[in-house]
Amino acid sequence: MSLPRPLEGIRVVDFTWVRAGPWAARWLGTFGAEVIKVEWPENLDILRMNRFTIPTGVEPGPNSTGQFADTNANKRGITLNVRTPKGLEVIKQLIAVSDVVIENFSSRIMQRFGLGYDELKQIKPDIVYISMAGFGQTGRHHYYGTMGPAAQALSGLTFLSGLPGAPPAGWGWSYLDDTGGMYGAMCALTALRHRNATGKGQHVDLSQMITGITLTGSAFLDKTVNGREARREGYPPGNRTTWPGAPVTNNYRGPTVAPHNSYRTKGGGYNDWCVIACFSNQEWKNLLKLMGPPSWADASRFDTLSGRLEHQEDLDRGIESWTKTLEKYELADKCQAAGVRAMPVQSSEDRVEHDPQLRDRGMYTEMDHPMLGRWKFQNAPFKLSGSPPEMHRPPPMIGQHNREVMEELLGLSHRELEDGYKDGTFWPEEMPMYPYVEEAMK
Amino acid sequence: MTNDASSNSDGLAGPLSGLRVLELADEKGQFCGKLMGDLGADVIKIEPRGGQNTRSVGPFYKDIPHPDRSLSFWHYNTSKRGITLNLESTEGRELFLRLTATADIVLETFPPGYLPALGLGYKDLAAGNPGLVVCSLTPFGQTGPWRDYLTCDLAHLAAGGQMASSGYDSDDVADAPPIAPGGGNAWHIGSHYAYMGIMAALFYRDTTGEGQYIDASVHEACALTTEGAIAIYLSTGEVVQRHTGRHASPDNSVKIQLPTQDGGWVNVTRSGSALNPARLRRLAEWMDEHGLAQDLLDEKYQDLATVQADARHTTDVLANFFANMPQEDLWTGGQERDFPWGAIRTMDEIMGDPHLEDRGFFVEVEHPELGQSFTYPGAAAIYNGSPWAISRRAPLIGEHNEDIFCGELALSKGELTLLAESGVI
Repeated sequence: MSLPRPLEGIRVVDFTWVRAGPWAARWLGTFGAEVIKVEWPENLDILRMNRFTIPTGVEPGPNSTGQFADTNANKRGITLNVRTPKGLEVIKQLIAVSDVVIENFSSRIMQRFGLGYDELKQIKPDIVYISMAGFGQTGRHHYYGTMGPAAQALSGLTFLSGLPGAPPAGWGWSYLDDTGGMYGAMCALTALRHRNATGKGQHVDLSQMITGITLTGSAFLDKTVNGREARREGYPPGNRTTWPGAPVTNNYRGPTVAPHNSYRTKGGGYNDWCVIACFSNQEWKNLLKLMGPPSWADASRFDTLSGRLEHQEDLDRGIESWTKTLEKYELADKCQAAGVRAMPVQSSEDRVEHDPQLRDRGMYTEMDHPMLGRWKFQNAPFKLSGSPPEMHRPPPMIGQHNREVMEELLGLSHRELEDGYKDGTFWPEEMPMYPYVEEAMK
Repeated sequence: MTNDASSNSDGLAGPLSGLRVLELADEKGQFCGKLMGDLGADVIKIEPRGGQNTRSVGPFYKDIPHPDRSLSFWHYNTSKRGITLNLESTEGRELFLRLTATADIVLETFPPGYLPALGLGYKDLAAGNPGLVVCSLTPFGQTGPWRDYLTCDLAHLAAGGQMASSGYDSDDVADAPPIAPGGGNAWHIGSHYAYMGIMAALFYRDTTGEGQYIDASVHEACALTTEGAIAIYLSTGEVVQRHTGRHASPDNSVKIQLPTQDGGWVNVTRSGSALNPARLRRLAEWMDEHGLAQDLLDEKYQDLATVQADARHTTDVLANFFANMPQEDLWTGGQERDFPWGAIRTMDEIMGDPHLEDRGFFVEVEHPELGQSFTYPGAAAIYNGSPWAISRRAPLIGEHNEDIFCGELALSKGELTLLAESGVI
C-alpha cells in the first residue's frame, strides 16, 4: 500500500449525518482526503442508533452499529457545539485550514449556525462548500424535508418499480441516500477540479430529490416529447420489458425483448431466483438448446420476438419449469456457458459469502474496529492503477479525535481543551463521558 | 417557465470546461459521458460506423424508429459531439490515436481485452500522452471468474442485490417475485462510480501530472448500492425481507405507502412510529379540519409512551384520512406541517412543479434538424460559480465528422470522402 491516494492533502469538514451526506464524505476519505466528522452527542447521528446492526454480544451504544461503521469509515471525528460562541470560533478555525465543507442539514440550517457559504468564504475564500438538502437551498419549497423513500417517490423513481395493477413496489432501500451521497461526492470532486483549474471555490446546491428525476431514464422525454401517459395499461411491467396483452411500447429498461424475467430456482427459498434475458433470436436459440429443448417450446410461436412477447405467460411458465430443477448459481453458469444472459438474485449473504467475482476482486476489506472487532468494509468498485482508493481507517467513535484535532491541528493548548470539556464546548455538560474520551485527555 | 440551454445568463463556464473526453460507450457508460458533458467537458462520442447500438433503443420520437430519433439516446447523450470511426481499420486506429493525443480522458465500455487486442490499450494510448486518464467501465471489471459473463440491466440488479431488497409484502401481492426497479439504473449506478473514479484520477493528475488506468465494475457498483442490507447481514447474520414501497428489513415493519382518495399513494416515511405528542397534535388538528381525526385529539396522546405504543392505531387513522384526501393536498399539506412526506409522482405530476421551475430544472433543448425544442431534465445541483448545463442535444450520426477530422485533424474533404467510402468513418 505504498501508492499515494488521489486526494492526499485535502481536508474535509464533514457536518453530515444519517446516510446520504456521510456516504458522500466517506468516499472523499476513501480517496485519501482527511475527513473530520463534526458531531454533537445530544443530537446523535441516527445511524449510531440503528437497532438492526448491533451484533450480538457487542455492548449497545453509539459506537456499536455496523451501519454507521461502513458509512463513516475513513474519517476522524470530533464533538463540538457550534451553537455556542466558543464552538463557532473553533469550527471557523478548522474551516480556515480546510478545503471542503459538506453538509446535509435541512436547507439554510447552516446559515442559522452562522456557517453559511457567505460567512465561510470570508474565512477561506476558495472553500468548496457542498449542500445536500432534499429539495436544495433555493426554490420555493427548499424547506421541504425528505428521507430517501420520500425523495424516490417525488422524483418518479418509485412509480417505475412494480407489477401492473398492484401498488408500486418502489425501492427496498434508500436508493437516493446511496445515490444522493454519490452526487455529493461527485459535486465535491468536480468543484475541487474546478478550483484546481481556476483557483476559485464555490457553493454547490444539490437537491437529493432532483437527482432522482434524471434517473428515471427516458421516461422524462417520453412524457415531454411524446406525451406518453405514465399511468397506462401494463405499466410498470415488473421484471419484463413489456406486459403481455398491453400495447407494446418501450418501458425504459433497454430494448424490448422476451424472455426477460425472474424465475424460481431449485430449493424454493426466499432468494432462490435467477433472471434470464434473451436479447436476440440467437440467444433464445441458445437457451432452447440448453433446455433440452423442451416439448412445450416446440410450437413455432416462440420463434420470433413478437411471438415470444405475445406468449410471455406460456414462455415464462415453461422456462420456470426448467429453472426449478437447477440451483441458481449452477443455472446462471450453465446459461452463461451457452451464451445466454442470466444472473442469480443475490441476497446480502450471497454477495458477502458466495459471489466468486466479488471475492476475486476483493470487494470487502477487514479492519479492526474498537467495538465490532475484525470487521468487513465495502471497497470502491473500481481500481485506480496509480493512486488507488483504500480503506484505511475505521469510523470514529464519537468524539474520538478531539485531542488530536484541537491540539495538533488547531494548536489549542491542553488547558483550553480541558476548559472546553468543562464549559460544554466539546462535550455536553450533563452527559457522562465515555472512558476513551477521558483516557484521551490524560 | 424553462431555461434556454444555449445561453448561461451569467456567461460562466462549467466546472469541467477545458477537459476533453473521448467516449466509446454503449448503455453502460453513456450516462457518465453525459454528466461530464453537461458539466462542461468537451465530450466527443466516437461511434462505430452506422451509429452506436444504443440508437436502436426506444421509445422513439413520435414512435417512428430511426437512429436519430431514439429518446433514450437523446436522454443519455446531451452535450456531446459525435463522430464515427471504425477502430478495426488501420486508418481508424491512427485517427483515434491522433485524437487521443488531444484528450484528457478516454471512457470505454468494450469487453475486456478488446482495445488492447487492437493495439489501443491503456499503455498504447498513454504512450504519447502520460497525463491521460483511461476508464474502462465493464460489467464485472477486467479480471475475475465472471469477467466475460453476459449481462443487462436486469441481470445486474439481480446479482447486485437490488432485487433481493425490492418487492411486496405478501398481503399486498402473494408469491410476488423480487422486483427490479426500472429506468436502467444499473447503468446509472455504474456511471456514477466511474465518474467519481475519473474525477479522483484528474485531481491526482492536477497534483502530479500523471494519468492512470481505471478498471471500474458495474457489478461492484451495484453490490455497493443497497444501503443497510450488507451491514445488517454482517451485524446479525440476517437477510432482509421485501416490503411494499419501503425498506426491506429483517422484521415486519409498519406500512408507509398509503393509498389516497384519487388513486395515488403517499410515502409517509415511518408513519406513526416517528411521532411525538406535539407532532401528533399538529397532525390531528389538520385531520380534524376534515372531520377525520377520530380519537387522535384525545388528551391521552399528550403522553409520549402512549403515542409510541399506539403507532399502529395512529397509522390506521392516518390511512383513513389519506383514503379521503387527494394525493397532492396530502403530501404538500404534510410538508407544510413539517412531515417529510412524498407523493408517488409520475412524470405527469412532475412536469410544471413550481419548485423545479424556480431552480431552472426544466431546460429547453433545441433540435434544429426538427425545427423544435424539447424539455429536458436539467441540473440536480446548482453550481454557483460554474454551471451544470446541457449545451446541445445528442449528436446525429457522424454529425461532427467534418468538425473533428477536417477542422481539427486537418484532413481534406477529399480524404474524408475516401475514409467514408473505404469504411473507416
